[in-house]
Amino acid sequence: MSEAGLSLRERFRLSRFLRGEKPVDQPVRLTHRRIFILPTGRGLGFVSLIALLLLIAFIYNNNLAYLLAFILASVFFVTILHSFKTLAGLVMKSTHSQPAFAGEAAGFTFTIHNPLRQPRNNLSVSIQTEQSIELAAMEQKSLVLYVETRQRGWLACPTVTLSSTYPLGFFRAWSPLRFNLQALVYPKPSNVELPFPESDGGNGELGQGGRGHEDFYGIKNYERGDPIRQIHWKAFAKGQGLYSKEYAGTTASQLWLDYATTPGHSLEERLSQLCRWVIDAEHAGLPYGLMLPGTKIAPAHGRLHYEKCLEALALF
Amino acid sequence: MATDKRIFIFLLVSIGLIALPHFNNIPLPLFGFFYLLLGWRFIALWKPAWLPNKFLVLFLTVSGIALLYSQHQGILGRDAGTSLFITALGLKLLEVKSSRDIYLTNYLAFIVASTLFLYQQSMWMAVYILSVCCVLLATLVTINSRLQNALTALKIAALIIMQALPLAIVLFLLFPRIEAPRWMLFEDKQQARSGLSDTLEPGSISRLGLSDELAFRVKFDGDIPPPEQRYWRGPVYSYTDGKRWTESPNRFFRRFMDRPRFLGTPYRYKLLMEPQKHHWVYALDLAAEYNDPLQRTSFYQLVTPSTPEERAEYRIVSYPHYNTGYLTKTEHHDNLQLPGEPSSRITSLVRRLHGFDGEPEAFIRQLLKFFREEQFYYTLMPDVMKDNPIETFLFESRYGFCSHYATAFVYLMRVANIPARVVGGYQGGELNKVGGFIEVRQANAHAWAEVWLSGKGWVRFDPTAAVAPERVEQDVNIDLQIASGEVNFTPVEIGAAMSWLKRGRQLWNSLDYQWQRWVINYSNTNQSNLLAALGIDNIERLLYWLIGSVTSVSLLLAWLLLRNNRPRADPVMALYQNFCAKLAKQAGLQIRTGEGARHFAQRVKRRHPEMAGRIDDITGLFIKLRYQADAEETDLRQFKRQVRKFQIPKR
Repeated sequence: MSEAGLSLRERFRLSRFLRGEKPVDQPVRLTHRRIFILPTGRGLGFVSLIALLLLIAFIYNNNLAYLLAFILASVFFVTILHSFKTLAGLVMKSTHSQPAFAGEAAGFTFTIHNPLRQPRNNLSVSIQTEQSIELAAMEQKSLVLYVETRQRGWLACPTVTLSSTYPLGFFRAWSPLRFNLQALVYPKPSNVELPFPESDGGNGELGQGGRGHEDFYGIKNYERGDPIRQIHWKAFAKGQGLYSKEYAGTTASQLWLDYATTPGHSLEERLSQLCRWVIDAEHAGLPYGLMLPGTKIAPAHGRLHYEKCLEALALF
Repeated sequence: MATDKRIFIFLLVSIGLIALPHFNNIPLPLFGFFYLLLGWRFIALWKPAWLPNKFLVLFLTVSGIALLYSQHQGILGRDAGTSLFITALGLKLLEVKSSRDIYLTNYLAFIVASTLFLYQQSMWMAVYILSVCCVLLATLVTINSRLQNALTALKIAALIIMQALPLAIVLFLLFPRIEAPRWMLFEDKQQARSGLSDTLEPGSISRLGLSDELAFRVKFDGDIPPPEQRYWRGPVYSYTDGKRWTESPNRFFRRFMDRPRFLGTPYRYKLLMEPQKHHWVYALDLAAEYNDPLQRTSFYQLVTPSTPEERAEYRIVSYPHYNTGYLTKTEHHDNLQLPGEPSSRITSLVRRLHGFDGEPEAFIRQLLKFFREEQFYYTLMPDVMKDNPIETFLFESRYGFCSHYATAFVYLMRVANIPARVVGGYQGGELNKVGGFIEVRQANAHAWAEVWLSGKGWVRFDPTAAVAPERVEQDVNIDLQIASGEVNFTPVEIGAAMSWLKRGRQLWNSLDYQWQRWVINYSNTNQSNLLAALGIDNIERLLYWLIGSVTSVSLLLAWLLLRNNRPRADPVMALYQNFCAKLAKQAGLQIRTGEGARHFAQRVKRRHPEMAGRIDDITGLFIKLRYQADAEETDLRQFKRQVRKFQIPKR
């Protein structure tokens, strides 16, 4: 937990109230340092109500009206403490992120833990979108918040704001938090339907394969990402473990996606087209390789390969 | 969202409850109009289509304004303002849509709640309104949390109010009370107050005798005077036209020369007057010392120049024995005044009782004996005596109450040329055993006679006592109870129940007395007294006190609320970590992430086989305490001891 001291200047920096402190990796526990409380518009309305009641009490010199006004004023004060209590002690930590294609929303996953006996009734967690959650005593919950993306590359997680107006809505307690969490944003896949490139950057191996699925080649250990239909089910059923059948075609027929030969007016357009092809090839179950200036990813197939290619495109 | 039905039910119920006590306070058409709208909104919860459309709302608004105008001609003042808020609240209810509207209606309801206090300030009302405010706050809790349970929301709201009370009390005590400037006061019709009147008319029937309404309360510093000495002096009636008795027109002279001489031990007491019509303060006969706003008239009655419509408390010292001294010429003349020549029946009666030829004292004795021995009866329901009431009473009906006896007595005195007058006031009063104070009710209203005797001054005689001594000597109000059938020849068990009831009533009255003194009557003067006792004498110091006490109360509250806000370290875990730290320091062995206590123990034992027993003990206790349900307090103690003693011997 990051409870390191702040210098005086840091303490009074305005950005702390809105954007939060420096991003951290560790879980953050909400304390008085990170919780801010200000009255809401409704709270200010309540203050004017109290003023009106005081005026009535004053004009009619009525002690019970005074008393009612004072009770409401104290309720207002006490609510500050309750607002603090709503957030205090919560531990929030960033877990992981989900990559997204540019233009879509990237997901950031957080865990919020309530280490105390007191239930938290109405928390709202927001980045761009807002989510309400409730935590029972000692409960821990995960939630995913989405951020709209525009550009490919790394997207740093913006400030996450944990807030609540519990119990009476007179005050909003909030805590802006920043985590060292990034989401990978892939290029936006092109909308243009282009056939896969005919020739290749390699040695024209494409002609060899294409429909080589029938030629059984051998058996290899199952790897994550191998197509389900290639799993050697018989061996699995006998309890011999998980194997994938390899076909001659899968290794031989290679689709090379080369940056140099990709049509497009700009870098982004080409990357976008490559992205589209990667997606299509993966969906079609074809092995594909990716050639970017300075990078060459050997043809393969499967989830890991797919993500590797997209990452290369995202960070190019 | 805010349009949740549950929230609406909360809101409508609390608003319905808050307006209910206004039944007597605002005109019935407006009251009905409000509940019509409320009911409409309530039904619309299940039949949303029945909600009025825009035009109908406009129509209702216009008719509400018209209704308001027809009843009040204006919006200022207590009655009109209250009606205005209630009408506005009802109309607003019809178009509540967002949670913002709910907040607005909620705030309006709080205003209506505070207007209730302008009409009634009893403890019941305060408790009632506080409970309804709790429901109002619960509405807000429900909006701001997604609680499904109404009871939980109510509990949270009640808890918040409880926590707010100490601070509210500090503010209540210390917040400076300044009287509103006159231009801010709205003229309102004064409510009729009961009490003694400035004329005494024995011929017409007074209902006052049966009223249980409180007149004033008296708290004595030391001894309480016996019932027969509890004469609370009110207006003095010395002028009569034969039917009505009024105060003498010559009331503005002062007796500079002579002050009454007081004898015996005085009674010191605080007198809390209920609101009344007149400026009269009913001190115990006879007041010697009194605090500032009070003045004493030439009739030895205390009056206050300030408004009698408010409750007020006075400190008074009275002596039961006194001598008022000489009589001025005007007084002598006033107190022998008669409406005309007495009839022959009267003069023959006076003669028969030796009024003209004997000593005044002898005549008084004779007259009292006459009342006692002849067929006179005490009743609160005498026949109406329109013409010549004194003669009718003396010679025909002979049924009457205190004012009949007192006026007849004084009349006969004057006929015999002895200065005499009628004194009004209260007699007796019930001792509240719980609070140790005396409650005097309107039913205790009484009239007696005063006769001026040379060398003694004005001396009190109560002819009623000659006829109905229990009227004077008992400290319970026999008349009232007999008249209302409350006490009769009751069997013992019922009598016991009655006394239990009576004690409950006294407890309640005592509470009510404290409530009146400390809450409702906590005025500018009371506050300055309290502040003076605390050593606060200027506004600066008051400000320090206010800030200081508010801060300390809120700090205390913050501590109470937030003290459990850190996750408490498990003592078992802490001790085990202590044990691991010892191993790390003394043997260089650290527990790995994901390694269980048992595995770690194995590892340690391999390195330090000589410590195996100790290590097994500690590990076993740790596992038992942490994971087994049957762990006991002794285990924890043993675990603590073992960990503390654990030491790896140096090789």
